[in-house]
Amino acid sequence: MNKLDKKDINKVYWRNLFGLQWGWNYERMQGLGYSWVVMPALKKLYKDDKVAMSKALKTHLGFFNTSQPMSHLIIGADLGIEEKTGMEDEMAIVGLKTGLMGPFAGVGDTIFLAIYRAIIFSIASYMALSGSTIGLLLPIIGGVMIAWVRYKFTWIGYRQGTKLVTEFADQMKTLTEGASILGLTVVGALIPSVVNYSLDLKYKMGKVTLDINDMMNQVLPSLAPLLIVLFSYWLLGKKKMNSTRLIFVLIALGMLLGNLKRIFGL
Amino acid sequence: MTVPIGVIAVLCVYISLGVLDQISMQLGPYSPLFGGAITGLIMGDLKTGLIVGATLQLMTLGVATFGGATVPDFLTGSVMGTAYAIIAGKGAEYGIGLAVPIGLLLTQTDILARMANTFVQHRADHYAELGDYKKVERCNVYGVFPWILSRIIPVAIGLIFGQSVVSVINSFIPTWFMDGLKTAGLILPAMGIAILMRYLPIKKYFSFFIFGFVMMAYGGKNFSILGAALVGLAMAGIYVLFASKKKSAVVATGNEDDDIEVDDDDEVEIDE
Repeated sequence: MNKLDKKDINKVYWRNLFGLQWGWNYERMQGLGYSWVVMPALKKLYKDDKVAMSKALKTHLGFFNTSQPMSHLIIGADLGIEEKTGMEDEMAIVGLKTGLMGPFAGVGDTIFLAIYRAIIFSIASYMALSGSTIGLLLPIIGGVMIAWVRYKFTWIGYRQGTKLVTEFADQMKTLTEGASILGLTVVGALIPSVVNYSLDLKYKMGKVTLDINDMMNQVLPSLAPLLIVLFSYWLLGKKKMNSTRLIFVLIALGMLLGNLKRIFGL
Repeated sequence: MTVPIGVIAVLCVYISLGVLDQISMQLGPYSPLFGGAITGLIMGDLKTGLIVGATLQLMTLGVATFGGATVPDFLTGSVMGTAYAIIAGKGAEYGIGLAVPIGLLLTQTDILARMANTFVQHRADHYAELGDYKKVERCNVYGVFPWILSRIIPVAIGLIFGQSVVSVINSFIPTWFMDGLKTAGLILPAMGIAILMRYLPIKKYFSFFIFGFVMMAYGGKNFSILGAALVGLAMAGIYVLFASKKKSAVVATGNEDDDIEVDDDDEVEIDE
């Protein structure tokens, strides 16, 4: 059996960086992309064995979906196994892929999609709102750093194999917990700064004018934004509610709140 | 003002790079922030572009394709919203109001692209049966085209007829509706935050959420998101410190469970 060299692993890394989701589809999700990503290694390993090649292609075209940065660990470990035993034990490979993709998706999406994005892009957006384009560099710098992490992940997966990758994932759980704390602090902080709505409703009683929004802010600053967020959070917990439907609910709420003056004839 | 064909072509190239960025590295061009900024830059009004892009970005902070779920195409929404704001000369708010419904409408083209790729997946299955790896390889590359077309077609059509679209909007859509959209733009960021709250373990760590909120609500004028993020980072660091300490303590006593006391009891039983 042929061995993989540094060049093959790096080729797989570059392909994974760009093309894992080009062929994304509802049936197998990243399945088509996975086969394309590992192809440089498959070519090396099964070039002279048509039966094994066909078997490998079919295995890797199967259903796969996980967080993209975390996929590097799985693919690296997959290459490590196939280099040693080829397609002899295909169930071990399928087991590795399907067993790890779920838990890794959870960890990866929390860190790389939810927390990282919320922090980097909220800072960049604030800089942009004040007319500065320098903030646009932040996501690019962050993205390059993530690409480096993904490179490391490929090699960790390849060198350390299934068992250690699983242990590594356990360590990442502590990190995910820490990242969740960071994320939730920022999420709390985002409410007063990002939801800029204030209730524009003044109620005249003789000579006294009651500004409802002022009254609410005396109870708690940014009470109106907090209430809207909690309402949205509550709605999202309902069955049949998803983010797209929530947008329609909030647009309807906006139509109502934006026309309070017309409605009350003030 | 009609949009010059050159500008439309450049924006089509940009939106193609944007969608490829969205499904791969996520460096930045995929984000509504870049969409607004780059459209503004190309159409000669960077400031409007930055405001539309940044506002939309803040609106959609928590909206991500968790597990491959389809979400509204706010990148294209941002590009079109900025373009319409500049064509109409009515300022950023006008663009923000339009970007949200446009993004919602274009959810459908995203779904179409993902469905179209099922076809290439089946071709790949066929070639895999034959062991023809070169053709399997090509199938994934073909998958790029549905993605790109699903973004280029709406952008090109929307911009070629840009002037007419804007005049239709201005003459047929009532003021109260645009006012409503503007207010909706102010409260929509609540959605992104609510999604993040659903996604992160808020029931376990609600105390940190309260901490973040109070810091900004009472001290917002002297404080920033970056500051809040640093406080959060410090608290996360403390957590990791204690978690690893606890772990090593557990390892030292030879138990792996968190609850040491119960485990000690177990050990006694085993010894007996």
